Amino acid sequence: MNILEVKKLRVAYGREEALRDISFSLEKGETLAVLGPNGSGKTTLFKAILGVIPYEGEVIFDKNIRIGYVPQKLDIERDLPITVEEFLLLKEGIMSRHPKHLTHTVYEALDFVHLPASFAKKRFSELSSGELQRVMISWALIDHPDLLLFDEPTASVDVAGQETIYNLLDNLRRREKFALLLISHDLTVVYHYATKVVCLNKTQICFGSPRDVLTTEELRKLYGEQKFYTHTHNH
Amino acid sequence: MGISLVQVLIVGAMIAAASGVLGSFALLRRMALVGDALSHVAFPGIALGLMFNFNPFLGALAFLILGISIIWLIEHKTKLPVDTLVGIMFSLALALGAMLVPEERIEEVLFGNIMAVSGLDLWLAALLSLISLFFLITFYKRLTLTMISRDLSYSAGSRPHLFEFLFLLVFALMVATGIKFAGALLIGSLIIIPAAIARNVASSMKNYLLLSGLIGTMGALFSVYVAFIYGLEAGPVFVITSGIVFFISVFLVKR
Repeated sequence: MNILEVKKLRVAYGREEALRDISFSLEKGETLAVLGPNGSGKTTLFKAILGVIPYEGEVIFDKNIRIGYVPQKLDIERDLPITVEEFLLLKEGIMSRHPKHLTHTVYEALDFVHLPASFAKKRFSELSSGELQRVMISWALIDHPDLLLFDEPTASVDVAGQETIYNLLDNLRRREKFALLLISHDLTVVYHYATKVVCLNKTQICFGSPRDVLTTEELRKLYGEQKFYTHTHNH
Repeated sequence: MGISLVQVLIVGAMIAAASGVLGSFALLRRMALVGDALSHVAFPGIALGLMFNFNPFLGALAFLILGISIIWLIEHKTKLPVDTLVGIMFSLALALGAMLVPEERIEEVLFGNIMAVSGLDLWLAALLSLISLFFLITFYKRLTLTMISRDLSYSAGSRPHLFEFLFLLVFALMVATGIKFAGALLIGSLIIIPAAIARNVASSMKNYLLLSGLIGTMGALFSVYVAFIYGLEAGPVFVITSGIVFFISVFLVKR
């Protein structure tokens, strides 16, 4: 059962084409990684899926689907006079396609991302960037979404920190049973966590399981004539 | 129909409370300058009202609604740079107003004179302030989310464009209402300064909204009273005192 199907998607900013001919699908419980160099249209794809920007083609969701979205943390201003608890409750009772009440409490949502209950009263400006990202994940998960869109931060994040985020997301995915659509430029992450991968560079270069489609040849098409070494995990 | 100081104090406080809460949402998206520029749009509307003898409030409101519609359309339907256009359009409105307003009324239009307001207008202002306040509090969550991030609003199934427009509409309503109090030049401060002070010291959103409203209210009571005693205009007194408080609050910033 497809939870999301994208057909012949095209996005243009004025005369400039940002994405064209993108078609892929995502089933329940799957993790789909969107891979591509900077400026390849990954975030644009997310915005089209969310309906933020106009597009041509089709984006078809399963009926009554709930979507969680974790933006790149830099998109949210840090210096807001809002507490974590107030932020987490913003979704409550306001969503047209959602029930009035949230599925999880603020404390459960914080526990998802291993933040202690004391964080509920913290102001946004008191959070470190890693903590803010965790708060964004708990915001996305508080109403038990069927599909989670996760936009990887492009800014340099220490590798250890990133690995924990992906571990965390993967564990949460099993527990909360959402399909995960994640933007990544880290091949290791893609091999490790994704069941499917879409490679983008304005147009769609590949779609399939990482091991089938991420050949040296495809990666060269995607990133240009750089040397790549392909991963082979045998476990 | 005579109006008493107490009536002016009450209505002034209500206008300022609603403006303060309105401003706290505007400052979530750093809209301070748009708000300020927007208030100038009211100017030609007021002028037309004075020239053709209809209620200047209606003229102001009509021009403001035109103004916010243009801002909203520029933002959502075109790729034009909003700042530049807003700057040019609104200076144009100010210039047009300055040419049209009868010379003897110009000071009142620019800086307001709440003491000169008629009874009916005063209670209309009170009613509109209450309506605005009601809207802002009822839709507090949606508005906050819209202001913080359009993308997050979309992901949660809200319609940020609609709420941006409704917010601008309330903004226009409060500017038109507040012009009697602070004038076309200073009404922006009535909306922005209390929220800017509150933002410096508030520890939560609830706190922030409450403080913005309260600071506005206290500022209005103080300035109307002082203006009455010393024969000054309330608008400039409000702006000067709240401006000073803002600079003091900078040293109390919670970061």
